[in-house]
Amino acid sequence: MDLVLNTVRMVDYDQVKEYSCGDENSLKENLAICILNPEDIKKLNLTPSLNLKLANQYGEVVVKVKENKDIPSGTVLMPVSIWANLITGIDDEQLIFKNIKVSAEATRDAILTIKELLNKIIP
Amino acid sequence: MVSKRVTCTGCSLLCDDIIIRTDGLYIDEVIGACLKGKEKFDCTTGQNRILSPMIRKNSELEKTSLENAIKKAIEIIANSSKPILYGFSTVNCQAQLMGIELAKCVNGFIDSNSIICHGKVMNAAKQTGMTLSTISEVINKTDLLIFWGANVAESIPRLLNKALFSRGKFRMTGREIKTIVIIDPAKTASFNVMGVRDIALQVEPGKDIELIRALKEECCSPNSIPSNGVAGADKEDLKRLLIQLTNVENGVIFIGQGIVGSSRSSEVIKELLELIQMINAQQQKGRMSLMMLGGHYNMVGFDHVALSTYGKNHSLQFSDNELVETSDTIVSKINNGDFDCSIIVGSDPVSHLPWTLSKKLVSKPLILIDNKKSATFNCAHVVIPSTITGIESGGLGYRLDHVPVELYKIVNPPEHIISDEEILLKLINGLK
Repeated sequence: MDLVLNTVRMVDYDQVKEYSCGDENSLKENLAICILNPEDIKKLNLTPSLNLKLANQYGEVVVKVKENKDIPSGTVLMPVSIWANLITGIDDEQLIFKNIKVSAEATRDAILTIKELLNKIIP
Repeated sequence: MVSKRVTCTGCSLLCDDIIIRTDGLYIDEVIGACLKGKEKFDCTTGQNRILSPMIRKNSELEKTSLENAIKKAIEIIANSSKPILYGFSTVNCQAQLMGIELAKCVNGFIDSNSIICHGKVMNAAKQTGMTLSTISEVINKTDLLIFWGANVAESIPRLLNKALFSRGKFRMTGREIKTIVIIDPAKTASFNVMGVRDIALQVEPGKDIELIRALKEECCSPNSIPSNGVAGADKEDLKRLLIQLTNVENGVIFIGQGIVGSSRSSEVIKELLELIQMINAQQQKGRMSLMMLGGHYNMVGFDHVALSTYGKNHSLQFSDNELVETSDTIVSKINNGDFDCSIIVGSDPVSHLPWTLSKKLVSKPLILIDNKKSATFNCAHVVIPSTITGIESGGLGYRLDHVPVELYKIVNPPEHIISDEEILLKLINGLK
């Protein structure tokens, strides 16, 4: 299913707060998430035990889904974080954090921890 | 135990009405701060505070002395021919000035977070001009507040308290005569403050530019809005918006990441600035102005410091200790691999840049000057801890409305922790 991704800043899912006061688990729980409309959750056949895989030309990420009826159908929100930035990118030397096309599918793949993510880039 | 009125550096609003109770060593109570502000004060004793300088050895960060960390940083910079400096939006203006001085000293390239945020508006304004406003003016005079692509309730939490629910000096009435308009694709937390006379425009994602063009068209030739509306916004709502825009005594458009972080953002910003000028040309009673909602508390400061010292608000490239012309930005520098070491000050680019750029950034030696752990901390080669400005050290900051605000030291920093400015000065002295 195709969705439009917007990365956003939210008080409850704030990376500055998590880095200042949280730990590895709270980082994953509060930042490796996305927010979807209940209709889209139904269309994706998502159950509480499943995660969501979002992919595009920039990369892919597996995240936990949270439900919010105020999100328009066809839109997925992610808090600004290292997880969201796996699927943000550059276009004509401009960073693109909004209105990014992504394909979404339910998955049993595990969500990467911050340590696992950083191990992928630390030289 | 004494009570003090202090300025909060939790976000760019720099609220100066926060009361803290302190014994000079610790902050015991914070009164009047929002969640973000409270977190900032909590950082001083937070578990993720960086309390020791560190150097990477055998893929692991190991504790070291400040002298060793400075020495290692100097060694990396001295062996580099194309250093880049980035961040500088959560440090005071004195440290920003010192950062520019370091860039000049090492013939490096320096940029702040502003370049990927509201710096885009400043750049567009070079062609179109821009009408700005201040928070005091908003509190005292404004009767129309438009939040465009900005979830203000969560990004600058106390702005609504101050701007919407206040009674101004020149207005004896408050919320009841103020109208707010929120233009956003998602129904964010900010929508919760809306009343019956307010206008909510849930536009389709990425179609802000169509909305701006329709409003510009309607300004020139009335009744040009199609009957089915524009970009998901209803025709009648758009007409109401235009009446508000052209009849208001004092209106402000607050723009957030929804505008500056979108694709075609430069085009959208330029058209928005032109729309404001068109409205002001038609205004009979007052004017519309713009305010940028950058998040970091002194992002605006870097633009002012760079402009006042070198006449350029971002992306300063030095060669032979002189400023040279460049079309590069920090994004193109990292993307093209045009650097051989990076000095990151008070920022976490590994978290806030796209993954492809983060990978390139950490592939070369990275020196981090910051006060709390982050993704960038885990990738750094040298870490030098610094004080928290506005709590453990003072200095000058620029509020989001471009007003300079003095920040003061409240409590002593942990032992052996010095300010960003002092660290940068040590690096400059060591390199000379």
